[in-house]
Amino acid sequence: MSAAQIRFATLWRREVNRFMKIKKQTIGAPLLETFLYISVFGAALGTRIKQLHGIDYVVFVIPGLIMMAWSTNAFTNNSSSILQQKFQGAIQDQLSSPASPLELLLAFSLGGFMRGLIVAGLTFIAASLLVDLPVDHVLVLIPSLFLVGFFFSQLGVLIGVRAEQFDDVAFAQTFILTPLIFLGGVFYSATLLPQPWETLTHFNPVYYMINLVRYGFVGYTEVSITLSLLALAAATAAIFVVNLRLFSRGYKLRA
Amino acid sequence: MTDNALHIVDLQKRYPTGVEALRGVSIDIKPGEFYGLLGPNGAGKSTLIHCTTGLAQPTGGAIEVFGNDAISDYAEARQAVGLAPQEINLDHFLTTEETLDFHGGYFGMPKRERRERTEELLETFSLTAKAGDRTRTLSGGMKRRLVLARAVMHRPRLLILDEPTAGVDVELRLELWHYVQKINQEGTTILLTTHYLEEAEQLCNKIAFIADGQIVAEGTSEVLAERFGVPNLEDAYLALVGRKELSRSHVEVVP
Repeated sequence: MSAAQIRFATLWRREVNRFMKIKKQTIGAPLLETFLYISVFGAALGTRIKQLHGIDYVVFVIPGLIMMAWSTNAFTNNSSSILQQKFQGAIQDQLSSPASPLELLLAFSLGGFMRGLIVAGLTFIAASLLVDLPVDHVLVLIPSLFLVGFFFSQLGVLIGVRAEQFDDVAFAQTFILTPLIFLGGVFYSATLLPQPWETLTHFNPVYYMINLVRYGFVGYTEVSITLSLLALAAATAAIFVVNLRLFSRGYKLRA
Repeated sequence: MTDNALHIVDLQKRYPTGVEALRGVSIDIKPGEFYGLLGPNGAGKSTLIHCTTGLAQPTGGAIEVFGNDAISDYAEARQAVGLAPQEINLDHFLTTEETLDFHGGYFGMPKRERRERTEELLETFSLTAKAGDRTRTLSGGMKRRLVLARAVMHRPRLLILDEPTAGVDVELRLELWHYVQKINQEGTTILLTTHYLEEAEQLCNKIAFIADGQIVAEGTSEVLAERFGVPNLEDAYLALVGRKELSRSHVEVVP
């Protein structure tokens, strides 16, 4: 391995090491939370709702829960990790190393991406054991999940870099991210909503992400898959470019 | 491009708040030199160090470390520098051993070399028994030792010590100085900031006084005393900060 490869692998390893040291909180708790959602919304409500658009309700819900697990864990991990390191001053060790802004940004991003992947992967495995979960369009599903994971990893980095206190991170998660995810149609179909809520849902970017992932699993969508994928790729690229500029300028990282 | 270990020309740093921390600082430190930078709090010592190590972005001037640009094309320059900062900035998620291992990784050291160097430094700094302990559980003295061990982990050619003995007991202070003197004799260039003038007098080949973001005098302690027309370095420092009345040279010894 070259020195640059060792450096990047170590930067990334540090991020994974962090969440694996507190895995009850970073892996166990989100898994439990997802299963509570499956139990309450899938199993309990499912006995009353039965099917949505010809799909068993619990199966309809699970793709959104997998997407939610990946996105919230990616976001939370990166925003918390960066803010904690800024508070401790420990981030100076990475910042004073020969690592480039791109290396630092990718390593911070991939930490949350990995945590999201692990939680989403475990959720998928467990859900597959509980219900008959199809994977109808794997070529849509994999890029969609990866883009969603990377998008929210980048968003977590952005919030972590900008944040000056834990309240800033909590605010973004509680008042922006969670409402967008819950109102994006994880637990229902937007077509069931009365106006103007159905139309308003189309202004929620998470709605398109959920539809992409749901289409990948069960083959049902309410939006254009091609357009949604392109828009998601463009949004992910845009936030990556913004973050790279912030890292290059040292915004709120270097004095 | 120079052969100096550190070559700083007309360095300026203005913070976004408008504070001018450095106002045209120029210094040259020769390879192998033990260089002391003295000045009152807020004089610009830490800002100069942060600019050299990439933790702050200069607003003007140039910095070269062993002939390598430390501002724009900084990889080689940062590889050559080790920093023991004033504030203890250890990562609470890491163990003592991991702190050294990860630091070595950030600087591109291969795994085997990291393992050997970590063992050597844990032994040198009497931290072997604490190798597996999280850094937050270490005593203040142990944390200080670990910060120095981390700074030398990648065998920097220029070691920057920003008030490394602030608040440590006499025994530990002597231990640290013995180690630093040893590596200086082996060829490592040292830049030291300290408030302990007797330390600077004993250790440094050359001393600079910095005040209000400018170097106001430079030379050996004898040269500085002569420059201020006083008998020793402490009096020269007191003259610099305008507190001559505190001089111990004026104290009459009562028989």
